[in-house]
Amino acid sequence: MTKVEAVIQNSKLDAVKTALQEIGVEGMTVLEVRGHGRQKGHTEVYRGREYSVDLIPKTKLEMVLPDALVEKAVQAILGAARTGKIGDGKIFLSRVDEAIRIRNDERGEGAL
Amino acid sequence: MVAASSLIGELRGSISDESARIQREFEASGDGRACVSQRTRMVEEILARLWRDVVSSEESRSANFTLVATGGFGRGWLFPFSDIDLLFLFNDRDAEQAFKDPVRRFSQELWDLRLKLSPASRMLSECERYDPNNTEFTISLLDCRYLAGDRDLFRKLHDKVIPKLIMKESKILLQGLAEVTRERHSKYGMTLYHLEPNLKEAPGGLRDCNVASWLALISAMDKLRDWPEASSLRPPVRKQLDAALDFLMSARCFLHFRHGRDDNALSWEAQDEAAARKIGAPGAEELSAADWMRIYFGHARSVQRTVTQLLEEIPDAWSALYRQVQSWRSRLTTADFSVVDGLIFLQQPSALQDPEVLLRLFHFMAHHGLKLSATTEYRIEQALPALAATPPRGAELWLYLQETLLQPYAADALRAMHSLRLLTLLLPELKVIDSLVVRDFYHRFTVDEHSFLAIESLHRLKQSQSEWDKRYGELLGELEDPELLYLALLLHDTGKGVPNGNHVQTSLDIANQAMDRLDVDPKERAEVVFLIGNHLELSATLRRDIFDPGTVAAFAEKVGTPERLKMLALLTYADIKAVNPEALTPWKAENVWQLYMAADNYLNRSADQRVHTEVNDEKLARLRSLAPVTGSKFKAFLEGFPQRYLLVHTAEEVMRHMQMAEELGNDPVLVDLKRGRHWYDLTLVTKDRPFLFATLSGVLAAWGMNIVKANAFSNAAGVVVDTFHFTDRFRTLELNLSEWARFKNSVVSVMLGEADLEKMLRDRQRSEKGVIAKVKVETKIEFDDSSSATTTLVQVIAQDRPRLLHRIASCLSDQKCNIEIALIDTEGQMAIDTFYLTSGGGKLKPEHQKQVEKALVAELKSE
Repeated sequence: MTKVEAVIQNSKLDAVKTALQEIGVEGMTVLEVRGHGRQKGHTEVYRGREYSVDLIPKTKLEMVLPDALVEKAVQAILGAARTGKIGDGKIFLSRVDEAIRIRNDERGEGAL
Repeated sequence: MVAASSLIGELRGSISDESARIQREFEASGDGRACVSQRTRMVEEILARLWRDVVSSEESRSANFTLVATGGFGRGWLFPFSDIDLLFLFNDRDAEQAFKDPVRRFSQELWDLRLKLSPASRMLSECERYDPNNTEFTISLLDCRYLAGDRDLFRKLHDKVIPKLIMKESKILLQGLAEVTRERHSKYGMTLYHLEPNLKEAPGGLRDCNVASWLALISAMDKLRDWPEASSLRPPVRKQLDAALDFLMSARCFLHFRHGRDDNALSWEAQDEAAARKIGAPGAEELSAADWMRIYFGHARSVQRTVTQLLEEIPDAWSALYRQVQSWRSRLTTADFSVVDGLIFLQQPSALQDPEVLLRLFHFMAHHGLKLSATTEYRIEQALPALAATPPRGAELWLYLQETLLQPYAADALRAMHSLRLLTLLLPELKVIDSLVVRDFYHRFTVDEHSFLAIESLHRLKQSQSEWDKRYGELLGELEDPELLYLALLLHDTGKGVPNGNHVQTSLDIANQAMDRLDVDPKERAEVVFLIGNHLELSATLRRDIFDPGTVAAFAEKVGTPERLKMLALLTYADIKAVNPEALTPWKAENVWQLYMAADNYLNRSADQRVHTEVNDEKLARLRSLAPVTGSKFKAFLEGFPQRYLLVHTAEEVMRHMQMAEELGNDPVLVDLKRGRHWYDLTLVTKDRPFLFATLSGVLAAWGMNIVKANAFSNAAGVVVDTFHFTDRFRTLELNLSEWARFKNSVVSVMLGEADLEKMLRDRQRSEKGVIAKVKVETKIEFDDSSSATTTLVQVIAQDRPRLLHRIASCLSDQKCNIEIALIDTEGQMAIDTFYLTSGGGKLKPEHQKQVEKALVAELKSE
């Protein structure tokens, strides 16, 4: 099992969600986050005051997937979230040792 | 003694048979009261059997020990899966010791019977004391009832101990009860209008029915020094409460049977089923779930009103500070209303025959944050039928409504008007959202409450300490007509009350009807229509890339003017905040602000986009319909004006400007002066010339006028339309009608060079002492060459002061800059002026910009 974390542009959430549903990803967690990578933010001047937007609002998706689905999911996210510009976001993959469904103690991929 | 196991077996069988019979009967009759009494009787019989078997078969053999029913069981209201509240009462420690074993066995066997016990053991002397940490126990004694054992001991508890305890502790007890009730209400956001309410615990639920009875009972016992013979509630209140109880009891029995446990949540699925089975409303026609919930909210509303009033009436239960506030409030008494303990009473009971007094009453409430007394509410209810025959309408009603909407406690006044059915009498358009449950995963409240909450959240911005609230609070303070925003919020979701449609469009239709009724003037109506029609626009744009200039430009162009943008940002903020307490995350607040800021900057930097008379624009269509014969003249007049000119002026105003421009052949300078709601509006139409804007702002300064906003535009033919919005600092125009003509003549003669502006300004300066600024605003000058293809923008931010605009404009003209467009704004002590400049027909060169900046800095430094 692999945990997929993807930080994407807010405007791409619907497209990414649809793409993931199409390949059979059933559940995910969506978080409202702020941060920056190489897209360092910018400064907006409003009424003479500077508002620096150093942490840019982004959307983060988290899901734990059976290994067979991971590459497909990565491709789906890449396809739906990419604009080719700085600020498109990143995908992180990490190993997950165990998944447990609280309701019935089911374990492993069956619990996903 | 029967062998325990066989008795348990027998009792278990009879519980199961009897429970099934009670359920069948409830399913046939839907009668909740019958159901809870039957279940009470069944449990009483079981307890009696067990008592005889386990404790004693004769009363005399259980001296000094009594079994008492308390709480809901004591009242005789045992719901299908409610706990059974029991008190094991002992005369003394010896009795407690003697019956220790039987009590244990008795309880255990009840558990074995799967009856859910909620037992308490006390000695009589322990019942005499009030434990502030266990208000619930003392309160549960108020419903005590004898079940078995020593009758004398029970009489001592009932006739002596409880009345004595209440007399001694009534105030603290009332206070304790009020505290736990308020705590419970605050868990539910202080509102009963939940989409999936908890029938027992939510405000207006069953628990509140009990609280109302207890509060009335404690007050009565305190006065009588004994148990009252009948209910201590006033008969009309008792009647309303009884009707509510009939409904709530049936609904709770229904929920218990449906869920098979003590689960009192009215989920959407449960609402569907209750409506189909007409639970609590047996005589009704076909009911939809929304109809059924309306009946529920109607009852909950009357319960909550009763409880709130009783809580308000608690004497001396408050801190010294609270009392002080209340006594200060009593000084708010007017000729119409008196204020006692924070409650509003009528000076003349018959005064409500005059609808204006009624409207003033709610304005008074919204202004001071007071509640209505029970008698005032009663009088309002009495006055409603007469009012319904000829309800107030038109501009007068709108005037009262807007004044009420602008007050800090507007939402509370609206809620009170709504709960008394006055609001829907005045604005029947709101009936469709009365207690309306719209099933939506995010919304937590009914549509009417959501609208009130949105209005409330804007008013609260002013007191809030949170960073975002403060920032949006500043915007709110800058609005020209905040009442229009509040009206838009009140009506923005009315369309949700009409099934199967686009709710935005339906809300617009309903809002238009409401504004017909209120006779809202066309200019104001256009703003409200814009806000309602676009109330989802900002949220929709947030789903796109708001850092993309194209997204910002498209959004800003749709909005049109900075004023509308401010209102839309605030409306969006309030609308999200009223969805549920967690909906407005800092993340969302930041996104809304980001888009607001970008769009505002865009609007101020794109004001020079030209009007295209060919496009299919709503305002152009209106202009064409107003001026059908002027076809080509109309086109010629608009030629060269920036788009912004059309956005900030109504079609009627543009027509007026066109007429003035036509008269320019006879008079070289035409001036129009009007008094608006907030300030005076001066419009000047003339041919463009150097120093025009500087001169005009100079005349206003010389008259002591404070320029709040201004716009300067010109068309291709060199016709200038300048509009100045100013306040009359010395009330010259307000107090002297004759000064209007002199003022206008003075503008014309300065423009024509017939009067000496410099002398006028010197005279004014002599008569005025220097004003000390309350807030220091740092001067900022910023040039922008990229926003416009043909002009250079300069934004000057400076401390507002007399003659400021004249000085800036003169300085720009001295520096050989031509002011193509001027957008002048003032926010508190800060002047925010944007000029679109050209020199020699093009943009300002970089060295010229430096020169202008230097000159401006020097000018603004000198006093």
